[in-house]
Amino acid sequence: MVQIDLAEIPVRQANELIRKYGADGEDIDIINPDARHHVGVGLTDPVTVRVHGSAGYFCAGLTDAAHFEIESNVGWGLGDNMYTGSVIVGGNASAIAGVAIRGAEIVIKGNMGSRAGQVMKAGTLLCCGNANFMAGYLMYGGRIIILGDSGERVGEDMAAGEIYVGGKVQSLGSDAKMGDTESSKIDELRAFLDRYKITFNGDFQKIVNEGKKLHYKTSERPMRSLPFVGFSGKSDYWNPKIQEDIHIKSQIGRYRVRGYGGARELPHLADIGFARNISGLNEISNPVSKVEMRTLIGGKHGAQPLDLSMPVMIAPMSYGALSRSTKQAIGIASSLAGIAENTGEGGMSDAQRGAAEQLVFQMLGGRLGWNIHDMKRANGLEIYISQGAKPGFGGQLMAKKVTKELAEIRGIPQGIDLRSPSRHPDILGGDDLLIKVEEMREATGYRLPVSVKLGAGRVRDDIKIAYKDGFDFVELDGMQGSTGAGGAEVMEYVGIPTISAIMDALDGLAEIDADGKIQIILMGGLRDGVDAVKSLCLGADAVAFGNATIIAGGCISCMQCHVGQCVTGIATQDPEHEKRYRPEIEAHNIHRFLEGVRWQIAALTHALGYGDVKSLNRDDLVALTPEAAEITRLPYRPELREQQHLSKAV
Amino acid sequence: MCGIAGIMFKNGRTDHETGVALIDMLDGCQHRGPDSTGFALYGEEHTSELKLRFLIGDGTAADDSVELIKSALEDHDAEIVDDMRIGNNYQALVRFNGDLRSFAYAMEHAAPDAKVISIGQSLDIVKDVGGAHDVDDRFDVHNFKGSHGLGHVRLATESDVRPESAHPFWATGFSDVAIVHNGQITNYWKMRRRLEQRGFEFRTDNDSELVAVYLADKMSQGVPLREALKASIEDLDGTFSFLVSTKDEIGYAKDNLAAKPMVMYETDDLIAIASEEVSLNRLFPGHALNTKEPPPGSYDTWSKST
Repeated sequence: MVQIDLAEIPVRQANELIRKYGADGEDIDIINPDARHHVGVGLTDPVTVRVHGSAGYFCAGLTDAAHFEIESNVGWGLGDNMYTGSVIVGGNASAIAGVAIRGAEIVIKGNMGSRAGQVMKAGTLLCCGNANFMAGYLMYGGRIIILGDSGERVGEDMAAGEIYVGGKVQSLGSDAKMGDTESSKIDELRAFLDRYKITFNGDFQKIVNEGKKLHYKTSERPMRSLPFVGFSGKSDYWNPKIQEDIHIKSQIGRYRVRGYGGARELPHLADIGFARNISGLNEISNPVSKVEMRTLIGGKHGAQPLDLSMPVMIAPMSYGALSRSTKQAIGIASSLAGIAENTGEGGMSDAQRGAAEQLVFQMLGGRLGWNIHDMKRANGLEIYISQGAKPGFGGQLMAKKVTKELAEIRGIPQGIDLRSPSRHPDILGGDDLLIKVEEMREATGYRLPVSVKLGAGRVRDDIKIAYKDGFDFVELDGMQGSTGAGGAEVMEYVGIPTISAIMDALDGLAEIDADGKIQIILMGGLRDGVDAVKSLCLGADAVAFGNATIIAGGCISCMQCHVGQCVTGIATQDPEHEKRYRPEIEAHNIHRFLEGVRWQIAALTHALGYGDVKSLNRDDLVALTPEAAEITRLPYRPELREQQHLSKAV
Repeated sequence: MCGIAGIMFKNGRTDHETGVALIDMLDGCQHRGPDSTGFALYGEEHTSELKLRFLIGDGTAADDSVELIKSALEDHDAEIVDDMRIGNNYQALVRFNGDLRSFAYAMEHAAPDAKVISIGQSLDIVKDVGGAHDVDDRFDVHNFKGSHGLGHVRLATESDVRPESAHPFWATGFSDVAIVHNGQITNYWKMRRRLEQRGFEFRTDNDSELVAVYLADKMSQGVPLREALKASIEDLDGTFSFLVSTKDEIGYAKDNLAAKPMVMYETDDLIAIASEEVSLNRLFPGHALNTKEPPPGSYDTWSKST
């Protein structure tokens, strides 16, 4: 047994020691904790850590297999995301105790704060005193036991799992109901109490999900597929798109959900041209050899940066929205191209990790598939706040795609229409976010870049928070971004265009004298290397391709991604459909597309007179429409519209 | 985007190390807001004088401001008993017997480059960019003795880092009322227009100032602080945890969703409240404290015994 005195050494150093002693199998005593944050985060060895006093936020967070005993109180997020192992708290726990646990046993001798057990997946959270309001909020599984009173709105929007209350049930949350207490379950529960030597002789009431909100009442029938050109038709007022929309709503009586990107005409990169004549592009021989394109992303705080062979990444897309084979193909293509891939929501599969040499691991509010082991084997960590296609909303995955395997990796019930929470349990402001980012860094020993994905809305404010909260880079996603499933109205009408997003981001940083102090990866409807170069000229440090990658890998743009029966085997979890997808072939198709992007970036950079992509700047651009001129403040040059036959030139 | 702290020594004496206590508490939660730090300190009460504190900046503009303030004081029959400059502040102790609100508004407009930070018989607000120890170095906060006080650390996200955007906020126009607030009032403009229609002036667009004026207005109509806090939970929309103080009282209110943290520790001698327990523990290092977390939608007040 070893002792660590937090009055003597900082938490960062203490956590390194805890992990080292853990690896040696030594139990650890922590003295003078004085409610400091992040004690023990990232520990994955079966040792016992005794905290003699109170601990702060995220005590025992992002751990597996360890045992924690805290003599007094704990702050927010006790045992955050804990897999196996246990925590015993002698005093009270603050808000969101047991958030997102996946099997751990947590025992709180005193009271617990609000939203305890939020988005928990498995395991037991026991509170011997009273709970504050919304215990079991959005829980997906596992068991909460409250020996005292339940607090208001207990079980609010729980999807599964059980809540047992020994005291008074103060009020039930939305979609929660009183359930039958089976004696076998009660016996298990009493055995758990005995194991932790807790005496309680009273009776229990049980709260379970009522099942009113887990599925849409009527599912949307797939319609005759329209070509995208027809779908986005501008030829007449009651065009096929409007008709289809009305037909579907007349069947389902609610908003539509669909996949793919928005179809509304918006100011975009195509409305921007180059200030110089670049017609000789095709005559440049081997431009790739003439232009420096290597780009390092995310090293500003000393983490190992992503090392990109060109300023390009793959946009975050989930295994879930896409099939395992598709994620594998994209991973292989990213490795062949020397760029980084991103897991999106919902966890990291072995196939994906094996395929992608550089992989960013994304964390969403539902903490689906998020865990310490995959964090450790990632090359970057990312907090998703929102995405361009549906800013302010969480992911949507319709029941057909929530298969047994997928449900397991995410820790959720199989076959529900999954609407992921749009908010994080522990991020309710810039101050909380700061502490969350620190937790992720502590858990991974400050090795990995930590980024934030922002859907374009209030970018001017958001980017300042991202900068102040110490992120390494920002993935900024405009409203032309696509999605596997989103409310149709949201996709078309919520958010701001990609070129507005980058301008707002740069303006926001300038307002606080932080120009160029945080790297920006721009995405949201980028189609090729030409769009990439324009983005770099506007001020992005790199770009990301999502939909373009999918199309390169065989997508036929039918916009039925949400249905789960994708004929190409891309947006499906059905093995029969997935069989059609040949990752080993599509990986090369995607890779060739990326090499095309590389050639375009190099040729354009060279034609604009530079030998390094970092030299690209605003003076290389003009606006071709009044809208683009207004948004970007570039010189308006309508006479150049006809000369910009770039698609032909490159 | 911040951390808050408050402490009251219940016996009412004004010789407690209030400055040191608040510096420790704020240093403990400085991670929540490294950009600026501020203190609202309640010392010995001047029964027949008022303390005014202005932010005047540096250089010749500051000299001009001081002259303008002095002449404005004279215009309003406020007799300067004592005055001094410390850092970018100008302090004046004055004898004044007129209507405080119109006097306060006049002082706000006394010099174009100066801003009133606080007015009160016992209140002094000290705030500036930097951490708790930086502000202490500039303004000698650790030597401050008093009965109670509030503190705030700020993470500047939506505006740049300037002394005037630091907290605490004084309830513009009301003597001795200060507030520290963590959160966001979403019906800010609606509430502000209601108050403006009744003649109140606002010096910033900051929602904390609104809360201070809202509470001070209620109290000036004879509503006890407790009742004013109760009403605030109904009237204010958003996520908030705030602490408010007057000459004799300290109180808190917390929104119905408990979205912003708050922990308190109470003994027979003192009440200490902070965003995080780590701040409370700074007062009692090495001791596990029997703390309490206020429930959503709750409020409470404490008075010093006199």
